[in-house]
Amino acid sequence: MELKANAFGRNARKALLDKTLQGALERTTGRFQAHRDAAVAAFPEFEATRERASGIKRDVLDHLDTYLARFIEEAEKRGAIVHVARDAAQAREIAARIARNEGITLAVKSKSMASEEISLNEALQGAGVTVVESDLGEYIIQLAGETPSHIIAPAAHKTREQISRLFERHLGEPRTDSIPGLVGMARKHLREKFLSAGMGVSGGNFLVADTGSVVLVTNEGNGRMGTVLPRVHLAVVGIEKVIPRMADLPTFLRLLPRSATGQAISSYVSIVTGTRRAGDPEGPDRMHILLLDCGRSAILEGKYREVLKCVRCGACLNCCPVYQSVGGHPYGWVYSGPIGAVLTPLLVGLPEAAALPDASTLCGACADVCPVKIPLPDFLLELRADAREQGLKTPGEIAAMKGYAGVMKRAGLLEAIERIGGVLGQFFTKGKGIGGLPYPFSGWTERRDFPAPAALPFRKRWKIQRGARD
Amino acid sequence: MVNERESLFRRLSAACGGHGAGPGEGLPGEAPVPPEIDRVALFAKTFAAADGVLLRGPLEKALSDLGEMLRAEGVTALFFPEDDAAAREIAEALVPFGPFSLTTGAEVRGGSAAVTAGFRTAEAAIAETGTVVETSAGGRSVLPGLIPDVHVSIVPAASVVARMEEALAAFTADPPRNISFLSGPSRTGDIEQTLTIGAHGPRKAIVLLLTIPGPGVKITSL
Repeated sequence: MELKANAFGRNARKALLDKTLQGALERTTGRFQAHRDAAVAAFPEFEATRERASGIKRDVLDHLDTYLARFIEEAEKRGAIVHVARDAAQAREIAARIARNEGITLAVKSKSMASEEISLNEALQGAGVTVVESDLGEYIIQLAGETPSHIIAPAAHKTREQISRLFERHLGEPRTDSIPGLVGMARKHLREKFLSAGMGVSGGNFLVADTGSVVLVTNEGNGRMGTVLPRVHLAVVGIEKVIPRMADLPTFLRLLPRSATGQAISSYVSIVTGTRRAGDPEGPDRMHILLLDCGRSAILEGKYREVLKCVRCGACLNCCPVYQSVGGHPYGWVYSGPIGAVLTPLLVGLPEAAALPDASTLCGACADVCPVKIPLPDFLLELRADAREQGLKTPGEIAAMKGYAGVMKRAGLLEAIERIGGVLGQFFTKGKGIGGLPYPFSGWTERRDFPAPAALPFRKRWKIQRGARD
Repeated sequence: MVNERESLFRRLSAACGGHGAGPGEGLPGEAPVPPEIDRVALFAKTFAAADGVLLRGPLEKALSDLGEMLRAEGVTALFFPEDDAAAREIAEALVPFGPFSLTTGAEVRGGSAAVTAGFRTAEAAIAETGTVVETSAGGRSVLPGLIPDVHVSIVPAASVVARMEEALAAFTADPPRNISFLSGPSRTGDIEQTLTIGAHGPRKAIVLLLTIPGPGVKITSL
């Protein structure tokens, strides 16, 4: 996918002015959050399960070489062909070669964020394959020629009117404002594709080391169809998705759907292992598993390794005040929200995405909901420090922060500034915010007003309150 | 490609090596197991919460309810795998409640135009999540729960387990190609986050709970 992460500011402004998007964002994030909170409240073991999942993932990362080797061994023992790609270019090359060697002309694909990282569809198209996205949301944005705006609701930014217009133009369907009607149209068109495709392409929510299984979690049933009906199955998965044992899977299945959609479990969990066995009436004759490094081993080596615990539930998007305001597209790559603001700079390089760690209020809501306890706010702060060290901050910002630190370290100076600022601020702004300051402060005020200094500083008010109580 | 694999493992070993404990050591203990529960009662509750329909009780009544449900869905064909005796028995017993035709055939695989209900005996059901487990173990077909518009799972009460771990334990040593956890009908929220049933899989998920189990036993009660 094309990288536009450093245009975050410009694209965020555009998103803020988009009325349709604003309505969609409020609806999406609000519903997901309410459902997630209700599901967690109804599951008393959530905290203990979360602790366990985090521990398992940490163990996996400490021994990723061991577990990944075991996964490959077990998968190959059961007939799968395992490929390893160092970077996106190599992954595309391997995928195209698989498609050509297998003689594929039509592929159905279920949702895979990892495949977006490597622009898999373009690679397959280059090998003469028509790729049809089969997740309804992905199908809609594929018809629209757009990119996902949410990890689990990729077409969250589209209204039913826009979707009906797309279906009219691309599928020749009559216009309707009935959502079940639209779902029925997609079902009919995609069913034909499932029945005739030579290859099903999937991602993988989990790779089970002790059995060599790939686990897919879906609600629609598209992942299942694409891995049962076509004669070839290609799974494209990041190396960090390994879990040690099949017995660990329930721990994660108790967390992922609750955190993602607020369900106790998703409609379908498919655990697929190797190729069809002798005597099986269906299942693929060939199974390819394409394991992606694409920057992950480098993350593993450094201080951000715990970000690789992520199970891609999207809970941190829904609770993030920045994501709630601008949606997924301004993040400018595959991953959005707090996880995107951390993962993107680590996968593509900080200079290419230095704007993203700043796209956060550091409120901490993401860390509160993360089902595998990734310290996202700490990482966001750490990445900002890295950006400063790598010379990616403007002199104005550095000067302003130095000045701020200088004042905050001196109580007397702060008090004096508060007193003078309070008087002048109230006089000049009449209690309203300050906007349109000159450089270097314009970096702040061109995006939001600076609140007018209070007539009575906080610490003074605190003293008075305390005095009244004592 | 072997070279690429070796180089990946060199990178990984360098990145994660030297952390003291061996793999799996220091892991938190097993997830807490909840107290003994009435598995069947809990399954009935969780399956309903997943928008599934559970039928139990006297056979005659259950069959007539099921027949009515299938007619309401516009079902005209009943599909069951050749080698699934219980599924065949139930499908055949439903014919008088039709008009239904029976099929074990390839037209379902090819995308038959008829509205179809697929019948299958499940390997297990999970009370914790309202899940029916159907696998390809022993060469069984998973198509009845995949392609048809309505899916009817036949679940012997003795096969209902409390937790996911118990259902998976049977398949850990040598998993079949396909293990499917089916929890209610196919659904999507992808258009305006509005829950809509019947995206790619069955629009209706029905469980017939058998209280008299055992192979070769004529089904007389559900």
